[in-house]
Amino acid sequence: MRRTAVWVAALIAIVFAGDRVMAVLLDGALLRSQFRFSRVYRGGNDAAIVIMGDSRGVHSFYAPAIEQLTGQRVLNLSYNSMSSRIGEAVLADYVDRNPPPRIVLIEITHLIVASDLATELRTYAHHSARLRALYAETHPRAARLGEVFRLLAYNSEFFFRAMVYLRRSDQDWINRSTITSELLATPAGDWQLAIRPESLDALERTIRTLRVRGITVRLLIAPYQAPGHITNIPEVMRTVTKRVRLPVLNYISAGGPVENFADRVHMNQRGAERFMRRLAADGVFEPH
Amino acid sequence: MLFHSFAFLVFLPAFMTFYWATTGRARLWVMLLGSLVFYAWWDWRFLFLLLFSSLVDYSIGIVMENEGDPLRRHRLVVMSVVVNLGLLGFFKYFNFFVASAAQMFTALGLHPSYNALRIVLPVGISFYVFKTMSYTIDVYRRTEQAERDLLKFTTFVVFFPELVAGPIVRASRLLPQLQHDHPFDYQRTLSGLTLVMSGYVRKVVIADTLAPLVDVRFAHPEAHSALSLLIGVYFYAFQIYCDFSGYSSIAIGVARILGFDFGINFDRPYFSRSFSEFWSRWHISLSSWLRDYLYIPLGGNRGGALATARNLMLTMTLGGLWHGASWTFVAWGVLHGVYLMLQRLLAPLNRRLRIPSVVLILLVFHLTCLGWIFFRSQSFAQAWSILRRIGEMRDMSFAGVEQKLLVLKASMLVAVLLLFEAIGFVPKRATVAEVSPARRLAFTAACLWTLLLFGTFSGNSFIYFQF
Repeated sequence: MRRTAVWVAALIAIVFAGDRVMAVLLDGALLRSQFRFSRVYRGGNDAAIVIMGDSRGVHSFYAPAIEQLTGQRVLNLSYNSMSSRIGEAVLADYVDRNPPPRIVLIEITHLIVASDLATELRTYAHHSARLRALYAETHPRAARLGEVFRLLAYNSEFFFRAMVYLRRSDQDWINRSTITSELLATPAGDWQLAIRPESLDALERTIRTLRVRGITVRLLIAPYQAPGHITNIPEVMRTVTKRVRLPVLNYISAGGPVENFADRVHMNQRGAERFMRRLAADGVFEPH
Repeated sequence: MLFHSFAFLVFLPAFMTFYWATTGRARLWVMLLGSLVFYAWWDWRFLFLLLFSSLVDYSIGIVMENEGDPLRRHRLVVMSVVVNLGLLGFFKYFNFFVASAAQMFTALGLHPSYNALRIVLPVGISFYVFKTMSYTIDVYRRTEQAERDLLKFTTFVVFFPELVAGPIVRASRLLPQLQHDHPFDYQRTLSGLTLVMSGYVRKVVIADTLAPLVDVRFAHPEAHSALSLLIGVYFYAFQIYCDFSGYSSIAIGVARILGFDFGINFDRPYFSRSFSEFWSRWHISLSSWLRDYLYIPLGGNRGGALATARNLMLTMTLGGLWHGASWTFVAWGVLHGVYLMLQRLLAPLNRRLRIPSVVLILLVFHLTCLGWIFFRSQSFAQAWSILRRIGEMRDMSFAGVEQKLLVLKASMLVAVLLLFEAIGFVPKRATVAEVSPARRLAFTAACLWTLLLFGTFSGNSFIYFQF
């Protein structure tokens, strides 16, 4: 039994040592990646336009198209299920580590999203006190376990994506499919955007943080395929504007034909490129 | 409690502390009480059913051994089978048979009304019922002596590593091992730990990573392309394999640490070149049980081609039904029965053609995957939908596959698994017992790092718990 105890002790020591060493190596690779969040925490970005939102931010704003139209560098920091609270932490970290952009565009329908994505952003948590705090708040037990086993931080879709985008930019990540006839045939029922109170608080703080640094903030609602079925858009716009004292630009019906959409909620590349031309023509990408 | 739950991580060391601190009958009591605590964690009410089943077969075993009259012995074994299958039939199949009968009457134009009972399926009932039935049948056949020590017999039935999801360890293997203490053994402990770790990797890293990719495709096949669905089917083949073989590894590894040999339950089944080989490598404890207690008593392959075909079909159909109260499970069993029959029929042709092993392996794998579609589907409609969409091959481009990154990650994990298993076919210079502690240390550490880096800690239950 003594030999087994020695073996187990050796196992524990090796596992912990390996955990620390591998975490350092993986972190090095993580920060070398061209994945959007690696770029935030590596620093040195000179983007003039930064975009924030959830999956609708990912697929409505096509960074290569904006760069071609405006001649300015663009960084889209949107991600699927990105909540306003997480967006607040990421944008604040961005301006702490990078030259401030001229404009930040925020797609406000992500105010309905909960902060489940915090579990993915634990990959960057040791680079950000804000993300660390958010993760500890939403997943306290996992956060404590992550202090013991550093490798857990790299057990995430974010890390895997960072490795996929190690050498190439992820800014051309966008839907390229078109909404199917089966989905179009399914009746689109009426529904409402349910803004989370904590998301509105986070948006207010975000705007304050950005404005203090002289950054122009634009709030907008990107197109939906069946906009008429969202019944509380005017109310949402009023609520947000009243709270943050900024107008919300309503592009909910600017999507054009169904071929511009991948599904009822997300545009595709063709639709996003058309939408970017519309925004450029409207001067949305220029700070006034 | 699940093997990958916090409760089990607390239970196991506590159990082992008492286990190694005791000897003789005290140790047997520790095994019995620990196993009952393990089982009661699910639902303490079914302890009575488990103990009742044990007591019935314990009593019948002794009475049968003392009974000289063949007719009375026969009646006793029939009683055991009736009680065991009656319990299984009621808890597992009552609503299924009632609903099926109602559907049949409805199809005939009658409209019977019936109330489905809210019957909770006791965890592990399919496993421990088969285990105790095999005991009484072996005593009847006089290939096994009746165990007269109630403590030893009950411990044999309820021993926790294999109680809820197998392997089905027969009396001939386990009862002799319960007759004496097993001293602590360093090599055996390390070997067991290695098995446990590899089981956790299979379950938490591979099976649980594949699970959400499979679930979303089977839930809404109409929303996925042909390639996406095909990927879902392949992934299910590996999900169920890793889930079940992972559980078996953990069970066998824990038992090995405690000094018990449970044999093996899976032996790289997807490298099989025929279906008879597949069934000698997949869920070995169940397939051998069906062979010894159903197929051979029916006559096996001794009665000519037609009788063999009948026996194969009956055995595999009932094997399918064992898995669950659904016609899709029956269809899966029937399909494997057909495969085995066709294999027999085509054996002379196969010998003449000398088809390369790799072609046979791929063929067997794909036909197995066809069966898994029915096994996994909630209904025939769902299964047909998947088959139809795959068959139409409307969109076979990778661009049409959802969750590409996760699919990529899952594919890499499956590729690594297959590589490890293929390497396993290379003749080893060292036997399992001769693998050095240093190599085991490296392997176990690698397993733990793999769990940390790739494990999915979603708390998914084991697939075979539902059986």
